[in-house]
Parts: sequence; structure tokens; C-alpha cells
Amino acid sequence: MSPIDCEDQELLEGFLSETTELLEKLDDDLVALEKSSAPDELLNSIFRSIHTVKGASSFLGFDLLVRVTHKTEDVLNRMRKGEVPVTPEIMDVILEATDLVKVLVNDIKAGEIQDREIDGTIAKLIPLLADNLVLQQKSAEAQAAQPAPQAVPPEPSKAAEQPQPAPAPQQPAQANTAPEPPKAAEQPQPTPAQQTQPPPPPEKASSDMVPRKTPPPPKPTEGKSDDLSDNTTVRVDVKRLDDLMNQVGELVLERNRMIQINQNLQQGNINNLDFNEDFSKLTKRMNFVTSELQMQVLKMRMLPVDKVFKKFPRIVRSLARDLGKEVDLQIFGEETELDRSVVDEIGDPLIHLIRNALDHGLETPEIRMAAGKPRTGTLVLAAIHEGNQIIISIKDDGAGIDTERVARKALEKGLVSEEQLAAMSQREIFDLIFLPGFSTKDKASDLSGRGVGMDVVKTNIKKLNGLIEIRSEKGQGSEFILRLPLTLAIIQSLLVEVEGEIYSLPLSSVLETLRVDQRQFHTIGGQESLKLRDIVLPLIRLETVFKVQKQEEQEDFCYVVVVGSADKRMGLVVSKLVGQQEVAIKSLGNYLANIPGIAGSTILGDGRVALIIDPFELIGSNE
Amino acid sequence: MSKALVPVKSDESHGELIQLVSFNLDQEEYGVDVLKVREIIRMPIVTRVPNTPHYVDGVINLRGKVIPIISMRKKFGLMETENDKQTRIMVMDVDGELMGFIVDAVSEVIRISGSEIQPSPAVVASGIDQECISGVINQAERLLVLLDLEKMFSNDEKNMFSSL
Repeated sequence: MSPIDCEDQELLEGFLSETTELLEKLDDDLVALEKSSAPDELLNSIFRSIHTVKGASSFLGFDLLVRVTHKTEDVLNRMRKGEVPVTPEIMDVILEATDLVKVLVNDIKAGEIQDREIDGTIAKLIPLLADNLVLQQKSAEAQAAQPAPQAVPPEPSKAAEQPQPAPAPQQPAQANTAPEPPKAAEQPQPTPAQQTQPPPPPEKASSDMVPRKTPPPPKPTEGKSDDLSDNTTVRVDVKRLDDLMNQVGELVLERNRMIQINQNLQQGNINNLDFNEDFSKLTKRMNFVTSELQMQVLKMRMLPVDKVFKKFPRIVRSLARDLGKEVDLQIFGEETELDRSVVDEIGDPLIHLIRNALDHGLETPEIRMAAGKPRTGTLVLAAIHEGNQIIISIKDDGAGIDTERVARKALEKGLVSEEQLAAMSQREIFDLIFLPGFSTKDKASDLSGRGVGMDVVKTNIKKLNGLIEIRSEKGQGSEFILRLPLTLAIIQSLLVEVEGEIYSLPLSSVLETLRVDQRQFHTIGGQESLKLRDIVLPLIRLETVFKVQKQEEQEDFCYVVVVGSADKRMGLVVSKLVGQQEVAIKSLGNYLANIPGIAGSTILGDGRVALIIDPFELIGSNE
Repeated sequence: MSKALVPVKSDESHGELIQLVSFNLDQEEYGVDVLKVREIIRMPIVTRVPNTPHYVDGVINLRGKVIPIISMRKKFGLMETENDKQTRIMVMDVDGELMGFIVDAVSEVIRISGSEIQPSPAVVASGIDQECISGVINQAERLLVLLDLEKMFSNDEKNMFSSL
């Protein structure tokens, strides 16, 4: 509606980045609050966050924001004083209010303040400020304690804060709202509660009004709050920046040294021996400085995976409440760092996996009890470094994957044939769940059933050159393990020569290299193979796959590079191994993007282009 | 090239001026819009890319960027020749992507007015797709075939790449 009238752009930007950060923290704290045994400290911190947001927005004149934050702050203040208890229902209201705050902040970020409907949410907050709440709440609590189910659905229970018996409709509700307005009016409150809580039951009124412009409150948290986190600017630790500057200083010194050596050489002031020595020293130092520099720049691009993980408690909480399940989310290794390009991409797949774990994996408390498991399910989200990979695991102690059911569904949907199924190992059946269109659900719900999620996971992970592994035991739970490269820009590679052409193989997929006499190759059913210790290794001749022109003489000895993962191995036959090198990945552009077996290209030391082989695609196409 | 080309004086009353880069390919002269041409370079080492259409010669390193190289002779079904001192790569912007085209020689930048462009006759050169010929410029001493490289790859060809 009205464009933002803010003279000091810098001030506004500061406000936005600070508020965004505070809101992220707020989300964390609010979810933690419910579980916390000593909530005082947390409550204080939550109170401070919202207070800061309120202060800043009133300073900048964002009225809507002030109104919402002000009410939320009041409620939190009462919670802090112990006048309002921390119950899931009240938390729902507060979370809804924070969501609204996010929407409003997003509006400001977008540069245009929309006239959002905020009274609905405020109306839900106001009852919590009523003096008589303490009593009512107590009785409500007492009620909730005896007939427990009443408090479970979030909506009615909020109504329960006003009239005592939740299901009782209009009449008592209105009667009870009557004494409120004066108290609400004590607060500097532009819209008296009465306005938004007229004839129909109060719940209806507010929930009907909110969706008009605002998306339904719980939704924005499910991944859409991404747009709150700003990815165009980077905050870098000052120390890292200083280190970088030092390295650049070193580099400048080395450059000067190089110019000096070159000058000496041109002027003939230096004999060959000295030059050789100087130059090799220089090369070594340059090598050192540039690799340090590379590491440092890489480090600056690194973000803690926490950036992604921290929105999950919220998502898990709301999903668990929607599904009527009890979940204990445990997060480990959130400080693990990975490249921002990877961080940006793993958010979606992780959300899908978490949803799956909650929806398909974990059972309802009743079923769990019946199976002799603890009532509350556990979902463990962990990240660790391993070599130049990062491993993220999502593990639940739920029902596990029912291979028979998966197989039957895949058959029903015509994704596989019976013969194919019969030949499949358990692992391969697990892999069926990644097929597009696969779903064990008969009907699509809000949460799942369209058969898209796992396909998204698979494609995103593949895009990142990552691997996904499933471990699952029926009745015991499942674990999804993602192996991702630390960065997408630079990889360790093995350079190989195929009849004069040089190709690069990602070292991460190379298991070993062998020098073999070609006479040891066997042909089994038209497929060349090599007996390697106790396994038969299928071979692919790169010169055939890539149609390389043969050079005349055929050598008896050649090299075999064994590539693959634990269960799928394959030998690539090459003529020579050139060596190991760190290479920067360059895209081949849209035009040549989808050449089978080629993942990209890189530029070698002599300026030539070498293609990077995608071994997994080769393995896949050979099957 | 060998025969000096008379600078063309454009008649401004006949529509707006167009600048073209003219190049040679097997005795014929062609022109492309100068705004599409990013640079003209000599032949560097080309890395072959397997399993691509025959006219894709490979990729080169253009100051740190890897771009595909198309042989115009192969694309137009002309006889292949050895590269010589005149051989050039014209780096062009095709649908927002840089691509290099190998041509026999690049001659000059010429100005013509829009009205000089005539529709192409039914058959110009047997191997060339009619699609990418946007017109012919007939001047006293020469005939210039105007190419639109964005139309050079039919949709089928584009699809073939993306589905490969």
C-alpha cells in the first residue's frame, strides 16, 4: 500500500538485518521454551528479543509491527512473571504472532507496507492479558488435566481460555468477552478487542480474517521463512578477514619477487643456476600462499549448517502437533561448516526427509506404546565432517521402511515389473522410494502422497554431487544418510589419459587404481570383466564410451581405475594415469549441459580444457 | 581478404543503419549482426567432447570460461579443410550463451541500411538451413548472406542436447 517512508536507508537496513536475526533466534527459543525445565532464562531472552524488535519498529514508525509486538511482549511479560503458564496452546498463539511479525518484516523488506489484517492475531493475544486469566487458566488447566483430549486440538483450547467449556458455543463466549474490553482499553490499544470479536464465536472470526491477506499462520514456517534469511550479503569474522589480508600481503611480496627475478633474467644479471634456484623457491612459496589463500576464501564461503537446522525445531513441532505425534528432535553437529552453495541447496531435501520421517516413519503414541517403544519418538538430525565430505544423517526410531509394501506399491503404480522386483536386493527396493510418482499413500494429503518429495531429495542431492544412503530396519526405524561435498567449486581429481586425451575423475569416487595386463580381462556375456581379489569387476573402456580415435599400437598393459560406492563398483580402463590435482569445476554451459558421462570441465595448468567424468552416470548407463 | 571491398556508403533515407561483421566460408561471404559478436580469436587448442553432434568441435578455454566451439563448415555440410592462418573463431552471444564458431576468415565490419536487405531466394546454398538465413544483401560487387545464428539450431537440436 504505502511505500516505505524512511529517510535513512542505512538505518532501515540495519533494522531489517537485526530483526531478521532476532526473529530466527526467537523461533529457536520459543520452541525450546516448551521443553525447557528452567524457562526463566529463555523467557527473558525471548522477551528481550521481542522488546528490541518493538523498540526499533516504533522508532522507525512501523505501526502494524509495533501493535503486534507490543501485545506479544505484554503476554510474554506476564509469562515471565509467572502469571501466564507455558502451555502448547498459548505457545501456538505466540508463534502465530511471531509469524505475523515475520510477514510484516518481509513486507518492509520488500519495500512496500501492505495493509495486513493483524487484528485477528491480536485478538487472540488479548485474552491472555486479562487479569482474570490466571483463574480461568487454572480452571482451564484443571479441565485439560481431567479430560485430556480437550486440550489437544489447538483451536478449541484457545476458546477455552475465555469460556470455560471449550465446545460450548456462542452464548457463553460472548458473555465472557464482555468484561474484557475495559481491561484491554487500559493498554494503549487502537482496536478494542470488541471489534474483532463480535457476534460469531471468537475463533471463527479471527481465523476467517487472517487468511484474507496473510497466509495461514503455520504455513510460512514450513520452509517459506527462507526468504527471511538474507543471502545477498555475507558476514565475515573480522579475524578471517585479517588472515586473508595477511595472505594477500604475502602474495604481493611473491609477485614483487617474481618481477625481480624476471628483470634479472632479462638483464642477464643472473646465471642459469641461480635462476633455477630462485625460481623453484618462488614456485614453492607461491604454491603455499595460493593454497592458503584458497583455503581461506573457501572458509569465508562456509556457513555453519545450523543456518539450515535451526528452522527445523519449529517445523517438527508444528508437524508433530498436526499429526498428533510426540517427537523429540535432537540436533547434533550444527556447528559443522559447509559451503554456502551447498547450504542453500540442502534445505529443501532435508525438509522433505524430516516430513517423511514424521509422517511415514514415526508412529502415533498409541501404536508406539503397543509396540513396546517409548511414547515419544526420537528424531536425530546430525552433521559431521568426514574427509572432504560432510555427512548429514536423519534418523528416526519409527516403523522403518516396509520393503514388501514399497515393492507392492511400486508394482501397482507400474514403476517396476515383477521380474525386476524379483531380482532386487533390499537396498534396491529402498531406492524405489526415490522414483518420481512413487508414494505409499493412497491419497495425497497436505503433507505427503504426491510422490514428489523423495524425487526432489534425490535430484537436489545429485545436483550437489552428493550420495544418499538408506538404512532401515522394520520396526526399529530408518536412517537417511546424505554425503555431500564440502564445496561445489573445487574438487580433488585424478587425471587420466585415454589414447592421448586427458580426462579428470573426481577423486571422491575413485576407490583404487591398478596396472593390469589386458590378457587378464575376461569377457562374460559380452561384458569385459576383471577378477579383482574376490569380486568380478565389470569394465568400461573409456575410449569406447567416449569414441576416442585409437592410436596405433595396442599396449598389453593398461590401467584400471576402480570407481563406485560400496555396492556398485566398476573399472574404467584408461591408457595412463597422469596424477592427482585439485581442479576448479567449470560448467560446460547450457548447450552442452547434458552429455552422458560428463559432469563438467576444468582448465589444466597449460590452459587446455579437460572434461570431468561422472563415474556414477557411467555405472548407471552400463547397467 | 584478397579483393578489396568498397566501403559502402549508406543512404540514410533507406531505413536505419545496420553494422555487420562479414566472414568467409567456402567462397561465400556471410554477415552477422555486430552486436552479437563478442570477440574474434585465433584457433586455440580445442578439447573434443564425446557424444555430441558432428559439428560440435569441442570446447575451449576463453580466459577461464569454457565455451563450446561449432564448426560452421561441418554445420553447413561444406567440405572440411585444414585450419590455416586465416582461420578464426567468432565468439558470439547465442541466446544469452557464449559460443564460438569456426570460420575460414573474418573480413571486416560493414554498414548497410536496412532497406538493402532482400529476402533470400529459395535456394541459396544447398547445405545451409534456410531457417537461419535472414536475408541477402546484393551490392554491385558482392553478395552477402545474412545469418541469424539464434535460429541456427532447430528446436530438435536443442532438445536433443537437453535430453541427452
